[in-house]
Amino acid sequence: MSEKDKRRLSLRLPAHPEYVGLVMQFVERTAGVFGLAEGDVKSLELATEEIFMYLATSACPGGELLVECSDGVYFTEATFRFPAGPMNLRGLNIAPAAPPNLEEDVDLSEMGLLIASRSVDRLNLTVEQNDRFKLTVVKEKSYPRIEEPPPRPEEGGEIAVITPDAERIKDFAVLAAAHYREAERPACLDFPGKVVDMVAGGDYHCLIAVTPRSAVVGGLLFHYRTEKIVACHGPYLFPRNREGAAGEALLEACIGRVARGKALGIITLSVLPPGLQNDFETIGQLTYYGEDTTAVTIPHRYRHLHEDAGGEVWIHRDLRAYLEETYARLYLARNIRHVRDVRETRPGFSLFAADVARGRGEVMLRPLLPGGDFEDNLKRHIMFLRQENFRNIFFTLDLGIPWHAELIPLITVRGFRPGIVLPGAGRSDMIVFQYHAAP
Amino acid sequence: MPPPDLDRLIPAYVREFEPYIPSKPDPELRKLYGCPRLFRLNNNENPLGPPPAAQEVIRRFPPPAGALYPSGDSYYLRHEIAARQGIDPDQVLVGNGANEVIAFVIKAFCEQGDNIVTADKTFAVYEWVATFSGIEARLVPLKDHVFDDEGMLAARDGRTKILFVCNPNNPTGTYWPRERLLRFLDLVDGRQMVVIDEAYFEFVDKADFPDGMTLIGPYPNVVVFRTFSKMYGLAGLRIGYLAGSREVVDMIRRTCVVYSVNGIAQEAARACLRDDTGHIGRTRELVRTAREVVDMIRRTCVVYSVNGIAQEAARACLRDDTGHIGRTRELVRTAREFVGGEMAKLGLPVITGEGNFLIVKLPGSDTLAYKKLMRQGVMIRPMTGFRFPNHIRVTLAGMEAMEAFVAALRNILS
Repeated sequence: MSEKDKRRLSLRLPAHPEYVGLVMQFVERTAGVFGLAEGDVKSLELATEEIFMYLATSACPGGELLVECSDGVYFTEATFRFPAGPMNLRGLNIAPAAPPNLEEDVDLSEMGLLIASRSVDRLNLTVEQNDRFKLTVVKEKSYPRIEEPPPRPEEGGEIAVITPDAERIKDFAVLAAAHYREAERPACLDFPGKVVDMVAGGDYHCLIAVTPRSAVVGGLLFHYRTEKIVACHGPYLFPRNREGAAGEALLEACIGRVARGKALGIITLSVLPPGLQNDFETIGQLTYYGEDTTAVTIPHRYRHLHEDAGGEVWIHRDLRAYLEETYARLYLARNIRHVRDVRETRPGFSLFAADVARGRGEVMLRPLLPGGDFEDNLKRHIMFLRQENFRNIFFTLDLGIPWHAELIPLITVRGFRPGIVLPGAGRSDMIVFQYHAAP
Repeated sequence: MPPPDLDRLIPAYVREFEPYIPSKPDPELRKLYGCPRLFRLNNNENPLGPPPAAQEVIRRFPPPAGALYPSGDSYYLRHEIAARQGIDPDQVLVGNGANEVIAFVIKAFCEQGDNIVTADKTFAVYEWVATFSGIEARLVPLKDHVFDDEGMLAARDGRTKILFVCNPNNPTGTYWPRERLLRFLDLVDGRQMVVIDEAYFEFVDKADFPDGMTLIGPYPNVVVFRTFSKMYGLAGLRIGYLAGSREVVDMIRRTCVVYSVNGIAQEAARACLRDDTGHIGRTRELVRTAREVVDMIRRTCVVYSVNGIAQEAARACLRDDTGHIGRTRELVRTAREFVGGEMAKLGLPVITGEGNFLIVKLPGSDTLAYKKLMRQGVMIRPMTGFRFPNHIRVTLAGMEAMEAFVAALRNILS
């Protein structure tokens, strides 16, 4: 049994409403054992209740359900795996079919995912093998902010890159928070205990640069954002003008860890030291809105880990100029195919997956199933997400899937604009659109 | 019928492994990148092709022989290799390229919980085969671009079964001289197997470069790899071999699949040994055509991975007395001097040593340079996958290709 398996408990049962108490108790007890605080357990329990009842009454009544509760060290996660027939997939959209105005006549059975998403930090839906769906809700632990003054950065001396212990991870987080603006670093660096737990959980990795006297002079965090993309935060250097050798060594060490793994590329969202900017290509930019409506536009930089394999992409003429410019700028060789809309019938209901990150007011939508109601569904999602105060709304399409390209004019007409192109991140390149509200 | 539950059926170490994606065929690449010609400088192939006799073996391969099984254990080729190395034929095991013999050795010696030790920046296949076999690969950083003997010895534990030493190392071209290798073997003291991968052996003519074959006797824990893919130009036929003590090879043989070496490769390898026709240049195009035919034949024989003349060709390579090795070394030396000089003019550092390749450090991303160079019809190997970010490896080939590479690189840097 792997270490990860040892931190995962499961319950297999039919999706009948009478089992709701059992499932809630399972999640409550398990999350408690995993160290989630009482209030956070309640939130996860509430999401569990809403999801289970929704599955038992709407999405897959009576179907076989696998509920798992996992300890991610800095979070507890509840997942629900279930088969779904074609008749009830519509309800898996996070936006309810009815407008979410919470008036008396709203069908609450359609609101399961909406309510569940309100009480957790993250929610997402994916399709797995055998047409099974996996719905995941995540509740993170709470950590104290940094209160101590940062250690004084040390000048000079040869540096070495090491995998740090917990105390040095804390030093790194404290220094990064002190030397870099909020927009230049992930929020987790404000909570050193959280960073330690993120690394201990195995999803995140930390590397630091140290002097011969073991003072921390730089560091970076990285994790697999998807199977094919490593997201890298950093290198952060202390003092900031200490670039060159330390930054290069940190990046090289990071690449050394992932170069022969599954990822095709590394994306960095942080401010790169000038000496490392030629190591990456700018694949576009996205703007992030804070709670106080401040906007920060962040260039996204990418580097391939292997030879770009080229390949075929499907596009719509509305996006032709943008993609041709992007592909030329990034030297990406692509066999471009155009989809045509000849008014063919598109039966059924569309389904979007929503990766929700409540804390950042962010949601990433992905189309899972095509359908004749796509436009209406998108309209509902935008309305719902704006009412729910999501400030950062993105939509991702995979240009390797022809019907995704057909959605391009429907997305752009609703206010989405292309932001970044991720080479080879899906079946082919993926393109991330950002929603820009009409002025 | 429901599809199989792959999460349950496939071991995690296989599911997690990212398969290597080979580059597309040349016509597809030319079309994709819009370049009318393409110089392939990414795989360290020999631009002179196989020695003339091996080319003749390939050319006269009788199509009906495609229906026949080749020698299942490369009988004649093993005998010829053994005779030339002064060892017993049972000390030689031939595989479908050196990659296959790497898998033989790991399968023979390692089980779950065991580990192998090698360098972080070296030929990737030792690490790959170990990883997708569920065996830990312990990677010791190079020291000044050279395998770190002390580091490798320190990385061992009670579950370490094999130490892989790539000598000379791909991609740095550095090597352990004889004294250093002997000291290493003495310190290992038979506690682990030591694989000395000599894929580029024939390119080295340094007096202190060790011949691993001579160490099999005094050090029975040594296994030596050689290939016909590089100097002998039979990369398209996939043929390589290992040699070791009779007892060790007898054990390794238990994990190998008979008939995995096709007949064309066996024959061509034999021809490499004995060729005296001297017609390399004129027959290059014919060989390219023959290779494509051979490739097609192989597709019909997947179960046994074979066709008839490969073993013969390999034997021909071993018998070559036309100066094929000398000509190739001269070509490589000329190319190394030329490219080294041009890189110096561009202010680009070079890592170079033995083998038919060198590494150039770029001022930015190597994977971006790959894309830009492809647009200009030059294919190099970006080194990020070898854990050398911002470096490219270039095969040292004929002057036309080298000039095209330099011009293209100058162009993308300007």
